[in-house]
Amino acid sequence: MRNYKPMLLFSLFCCLYFLSSASGLAETEIPKANLPVLTTSAGQSADVETLNVICEEADIKYDYCDVPTVELIEAGVGLANKESGPGFHVEVYTDLATYPKGTAYKTIIFAIGASLKGMGASGLTVDAEVNRLKKIIDYCKQKNIFIIALHAAGTSGRGAPGSDNEKMIDAVAPFADYIIVAADSNKDGRFTSIAQDKDIPLTQVEYALEIVDIFKQVFE
Amino acid sequence: MVKRKKFLFIICILFAAFAMVSILAFSPSKGKNNEAAIPDYSLDGCTVIIVGKDASVDGSVMTTHTCDCGLCDWTWRYVPAADHEPGSTRKIYHINQFKTFPPEQGLKWEIYKNDFTGVEIPQVPHTYAYLHGAFGYMNDQQLALGESTIGCRKEMDNSTPSAKFDITMLTLLAMEQCKTAREAIKLMGSLGEKYGYGFTDTGEMLAMADTKEVWIFEIMPVGPLWTPKSGKPGAIWCAQRVPDDHVSVCPNESRIGEIDLDNPDYFMASSNVISYAVDKGYYDPNSGEPFNWKKAYSPSETSAASSKGSRARLWRFFDLVAPSQKFSPDTPNMELPFSVKPDKKLSVKDVMDMTRDKYEGTPYDPARGLQGGAFANPNRLPYGFTVDEKRYNTARVIGVNRAEYVTVTQCRDWLPHPIGGIVWLCFGAQDTSCYMPLYAGITRIPLSFEIGDHWVFNRESARWASDYVDFHTQVVYSHAIKDVREAQEKWEGEALARVETTDKVALDLYKKDPAQAIAFLTEYSNSHANAVVDAWWKLGDDLLVKYNKLWVYDIKTRERKRMEYPDWWLRELVKYNQLQPEAQEEKR
Repeated sequence: MRNYKPMLLFSLFCCLYFLSSASGLAETEIPKANLPVLTTSAGQSADVETLNVICEEADIKYDYCDVPTVELIEAGVGLANKESGPGFHVEVYTDLATYPKGTAYKTIIFAIGASLKGMGASGLTVDAEVNRLKKIIDYCKQKNIFIIALHAAGTSGRGAPGSDNEKMIDAVAPFADYIIVAADSNKDGRFTSIAQDKDIPLTQVEYALEIVDIFKQVFE
Repeated sequence: MVKRKKFLFIICILFAAFAMVSILAFSPSKGKNNEAAIPDYSLDGCTVIIVGKDASVDGSVMTTHTCDCGLCDWTWRYVPAADHEPGSTRKIYHINQFKTFPPEQGLKWEIYKNDFTGVEIPQVPHTYAYLHGAFGYMNDQQLALGESTIGCRKEMDNSTPSAKFDITMLTLLAMEQCKTAREAIKLMGSLGEKYGYGFTDTGEMLAMADTKEVWIFEIMPVGPLWTPKSGKPGAIWCAQRVPDDHVSVCPNESRIGEIDLDNPDYFMASSNVISYAVDKGYYDPNSGEPFNWKKAYSPSETSAASSKGSRARLWRFFDLVAPSQKFSPDTPNMELPFSVKPDKKLSVKDVMDMTRDKYEGTPYDPARGLQGGAFANPNRLPYGFTVDEKRYNTARVIGVNRAEYVTVTQCRDWLPHPIGGIVWLCFGAQDTSCYMPLYAGITRIPLSFEIGDHWVFNRESARWASDYVDFHTQVVYSHAIKDVREAQEKWEGEALARVETTDKVALDLYKKDPAQAIAFLTEYSNSHANAVVDAWWKLGDDLLVKYNKLWVYDIKTRERKRMEYPDWWLRELVKYNQLQPEAQEEKR
């Protein structure tokens, strides 16, 4: 008579492993964050437009600046009344009745994606952008500002190790308090690895539309 | 009992196999991301010129594409026709038109396959042969195109992976499957609607030409929140036919204005063409104004004058082809016409010349004054400049010096497709390069067209032969360009003059055996192209010798002459460097 016990145990192990892996991707607890929120870019790609459209659809009133400095973030809501100009964009949609100008930001959302065209228009090199991001991240950590890292561009926002896109990911994702990533952006598991290594909650989505509900829950 | 055990064993195996497959399916894949991160310097891209059949001297329908990227992949290939088994599928890839890859990683059409979107569409029984550069350009049915990025409202862009099609993949499918411009527009539009359009592309324009007509097709994404589950179209598109006796242009600006969908011979559009604008608040149907495609989806207020020449291509083209209409550079670009009847019909040579236009004789001529310098170089500062924290525009010319290559396509309905279609192709900057004819029926292209990239000089690459001439022209532009134009006149002039004879020989062969005509055209196109590439290497050598060290070496007489500098420049030199005339120095 053959002993089927090892086979049954192996099958059970495989099933449990599969179920835990699958649920790990789908059921990360969504953390809470507070308003007011600033949206910005890590790498100056057009993905920040996706981020802003998501915020609008989720009815989250936000301020936006593509290349904020620490000083500008420190100025809080209203971004010191700065006006947009060539290579520098500011939009203020925060509800000023609830969060008057100067209120400190509680959350910053980075749309990650490198564009040399975008950086060039803002007078930035890749290294200058990475340095700028490092200063902002340091400031956020110092002031307990919640950091959300968003990568929604899929394969077009990825690259070879050391490429501009990967440098932007390195500059932001490991320091985030929450990572939201498109499945196509995470085909190689890079964001999952960062999240596991740094114990950061991560939510993976198929479509950007799913992030609308996620943002509603984050800021509810 | 034995049966039960066997059953249990099989269940165990199936369960384990299912679990292992599931684990693998959900595990991150490795080994991607082998492409180089490529800078996107496409601040202002390509120009398309369009000529209807009754607006050309010989009845050709023409389009152009100045592939003004500066850092894109310039390589070309010939894609053969193919037959496919019933039930087979065509995989859809994300193809970034702005990306290039180190040659050691392989050819771009193989690297694309790393970016499979997950979408496969039913394959057609037969796919047509075509010439493929950044896009598909002409197939063996004389379907041809030119491309220009036109953008759209920023909130309409969809750079997320929900958009499975970008413009490059759409053009390849059009080439593979379609015989006419109308077929191609309907195919590309429907694929964009069903599977989503955008990803690496924004609003795009294609001039779609066949032997009888030419259309402007414009397609735009519908925002990053689109999903196929929404049941709504994943793209918005519109197409307008250029009247047969008209010419038109697209210089990175939407060209279609008011539309009349009751006139299907001149207009086509997606089902959401107006409703999307209404939903988004881009158009108010109660405004009393007719719907206007470009004003709804890609509005702009600029003119040639208001942009100080950086948006002057539209005005310049219309002024070149119809000077009698006295178009003003002050007219907002959106108010300029969709197309015009030219004052005189255009030849292939006229169109080639227009692709090289640098606004000579206009207030926007970049060769003027200090910008051009002593040697009237029109290629300096094409992106404007910043000094003392102030930004200055410079004129954006049609013949800007960052073309990967330029095409002029010619479709002729009085000849069989393999003979009637011609892609005139020049590599690199068109002012210093040479157009070479590639007939639609050819079955191979020179190897030198298939290789090379921006970062490694390559004597086997046709593009580097052009760049070699271009580099030696920049140094003393006003002098060296005369040598280049002489060579262009010889090689292009001969090729243009030979078209009639080539057509006749090919047609005679075609009547006996089409395969013989195809072999003849393949041999002719390739041998002529190879001769031009050789001639351009030699021209580069000759320019180096002739203008070596900013002297003029006369190769025939073996004499050396001083380089001539224009008086205006010498006067400026005296002023700026505060030079004193020799006589005054003597007085001291």
